[in-house]
Amino acid sequence: MRDGHTRREFLKRTAAAGGAMALAPLGAFAAEGAASAPAEMAIARWKAAAVTSPEEIKAMAIKLTEQAISAIGGMGRFVKKGNVVWVKPNMAWNNGPEFAANTNPDVVATLIRLCFDAGAKQVKVGDKTVHEAQKSYPASGIEAAAKAAGAEVVYLDDNRVKEVELKGKRLDKWAVFPEIIESDLVINVPIVKHHSLSKVTLCMKNYMGVVGGDRGQWHQDITTCLCDITAFMKPRLCVLDAIRILTAHGPTGGSLDDVKRMDTLAAGTNIVALEAFGAELMGHKPDDIPLIAAAAAAGLGTADYRTIPLRELEVT
Amino acid sequence: MKAKSRAKIVIWARRLTQAACLILFFGLFWAAGAREGEPARILRLFFDINPLLVLITWFSSRSLPTLLTLLSLLTLASALLLGRIFCGWICPLGTIHHVASVIRKRKRHTDTSRDNWSVWQRSKYYMLAVLLVMALLGAQWVGVFDPISLLYRVSATTLYPGAQYAVEDAATALYQGNPGLGPLKATAVSEPAYRFMRNHVFIRNRQAFLGATLIAALFVAIVLLNLYRPRFWCRYVCPFGALLGLCAKRPVLQLAHTGECTHCGRCAVRCPAAASPDVPHHWRSTECFGCWNCVAACNHGAIDFRVQSPLRAPSEARLDLSKRALLASGAGGLCGVILFRLDPQTQQRIYNPDLIRPPGARPERDFLKRCLKCGVCMKACPTNAIQPTLFEGGLEGVWSPRLVMRLGYCDYNCNLCGKVCPTEALQPLLLEEKKKVKIGLASFDITRCLPYAYNRECMVCEEHCPIPQKAIYFLLEEVTLRDGGKRVVKRPRVDPELCTGCGICENVCVFKDRAAIRVTSANETRHAGNRPILAGFSSPETSAPAPSQEADPYGGIKN
Repeated sequence: MRDGHTRREFLKRTAAAGGAMALAPLGAFAAEGAASAPAEMAIARWKAAAVTSPEEIKAMAIKLTEQAISAIGGMGRFVKKGNVVWVKPNMAWNNGPEFAANTNPDVVATLIRLCFDAGAKQVKVGDKTVHEAQKSYPASGIEAAAKAAGAEVVYLDDNRVKEVELKGKRLDKWAVFPEIIESDLVINVPIVKHHSLSKVTLCMKNYMGVVGGDRGQWHQDITTCLCDITAFMKPRLCVLDAIRILTAHGPTGGSLDDVKRMDTLAAGTNIVALEAFGAELMGHKPDDIPLIAAAAAAGLGTADYRTIPLRELEVT
Repeated sequence: MKAKSRAKIVIWARRLTQAACLILFFGLFWAAGAREGEPARILRLFFDINPLLVLITWFSSRSLPTLLTLLSLLTLASALLLGRIFCGWICPLGTIHHVASVIRKRKRHTDTSRDNWSVWQRSKYYMLAVLLVMALLGAQWVGVFDPISLLYRVSATTLYPGAQYAVEDAATALYQGNPGLGPLKATAVSEPAYRFMRNHVFIRNRQAFLGATLIAALFVAIVLLNLYRPRFWCRYVCPFGALLGLCAKRPVLQLAHTGECTHCGRCAVRCPAAASPDVPHHWRSTECFGCWNCVAACNHGAIDFRVQSPLRAPSEARLDLSKRALLASGAGGLCGVILFRLDPQTQQRIYNPDLIRPPGARPERDFLKRCLKCGVCMKACPTNAIQPTLFEGGLEGVWSPRLVMRLGYCDYNCNLCGKVCPTEALQPLLLEEKKKVKIGLASFDITRCLPYAYNRECMVCEEHCPIPQKAIYFLLEEVTLRDGGKRVVKRPRVDPELCTGCGICENVCVFKDRAAIRVTSANETRHAGNRPILAGFSSPETSAPAPSQEADPYGGIKN
């Protein structure tokens, strides 16, 4: 990566940060509000009357995103003037937003706007899709929303991947899309979905969209592979879209019967904490998800999200 | 104005028209499937204005796909009035041949031996006769020779993928090497250009087509034939030109000798059509492309196009098609059809497991009566699944579309191929209709599939299955391991009631040589004779009397 940090340095930093967090008085952040040091994770829940129309859902998505980002210190904490930011939603499936297979387009558009407000020079949006990008980008609604917000929507070129050293437990080297990892910041914006192998697909699995090659092999040891790619990506900001969640037949979806409205969004710096929160939303105990335990053991974050500086917002 | 200077203006008008039509052809070609949304009928303009395709398809299928094909009457009318100006001014393949002929070194002398009319120019009319007889007997093979279908097929399978390959790989090579002089890097230019092409022109990942080299080689061969005779294809082979030639026996615009001819032969040398402009009263209107080269070539103003009454025959030259040859052509057409129909597959005595036609394809015989082998569906298919056959569909179906799931898959939410097909060989289906069409059935190769063969975790096929209820599901099976221990393994199964044969499972299977789950044409909706699965009752795989949410073998959480 551009800054030349090794995974080892990253892990040291993560461990140090985790230690500092452990020492911080619990609950202090939630009590003191935005005046003190920013939270490491924010959960924004819609508490106004239930909304149904597309315009109302859009307005809700914007508010949830803005307030969650603000609660963890604002986008200026992550984006410096002149930065190139890659927003990485899940836009891999040729399905409309209502089917909850792809990230909410208004969440993505709001993040783009916040990046520009924080001084980003360029914001790019793209995903290594499962269905053809030419189909899934427009179908997800993200292409239009991202373009309207001023981002460049990138159709990744399968022939332009670069093999990098992951030096993971399972993955030694793998082909990634250089355009993504050369960005100054990658914002990971998945949607909460069911998955028959890992039970849930959240932030860590969203990183499968930055790699090329035959990702299918990873499923033979999905836990270790996702820990390896997450360690490589050094997540700094993840935004978990749980406005709609896909409760069954994921990750493709396709039936509205499997979609549930949660009207919730979480943002944070601790990817494992977000994974745990997402697993709870899906009705699982985080301990029952092998990926979360493995990621915590690998030092990628904290499985018990209530122990880190957390703000829970009621958005109206 | 003198005839020569007027002709020069006409020639420039022709060149501009040719360029515009070539650009239009490739523009419409590019637009097919380039962006989301309902494809406009205008994408098929060159097919709709082509009377040969309309006539043959009408003969073979006894129906017209759309009234818009009546536009082709305009083309016929143009030939009746003005001769084969379609060939000289509009036909994109004609223009390519025209340019290739010009590249041939222009002769300074007046040796007209290569440009005199030849009896072999009648062969295209016999070709037309063969195709017409075949069509009347219900077999459509015009697309192999029709210039629009041919050029579209070549463009879709070779020219366009080739252009994308060249641009992307050149840019990627510069990107990876990043050459430059000091701070001046080549990528400063190549990267913005690459990004523009990727995001606005090509958009999709590049396509590749099986057997494209053969299609390309035949195309190169017919272009190279211009070195032997200018516009060889148009003179000797093209059945479309033949049809227009038949209409151009007595055009209103006729070439006439209006002045003192010195018999220098310059007009004949410049004539790409070998239409004998140099022989007084023997100009061949059925061959002439109306290019006006001859008028511009004459230094004496001896020839010019004149509006004449069509009642007056333009020439003493006759087409003189041989009755014997026509009879032989008819017999040839008949034999061709019989040969096609001898194929057991065409008789539907066997079904080729690898012949998976796109959704909306009519039953095979009916399909072949309409398919032009033009490749519009191949160009439009977003996943590159639609590939040209070689002999999978018999010789009759050469270059017709089939799905190869190793290369792509049928996108569950896509019905584009039926919407762009010019002849409705692939019927236009509403998306909801298309989702119900089965094009095949997936089956596991348990000697390879990881959970069966190696007791490993794998669910890539299930993960990708687009059927909302999932046509692939898991059964938990206890297996005995090598050391005698026991383990429970999730093993995937296919529900044949739900599987549509879309093939994404085969496409994404971790086995890249021969997938461990493969789709064959079995169970395809279009052939009752190829359906092993009795439809319409609840799957025996579930114990409940009828499929329900509760019976779902792995349901996740319910609302």
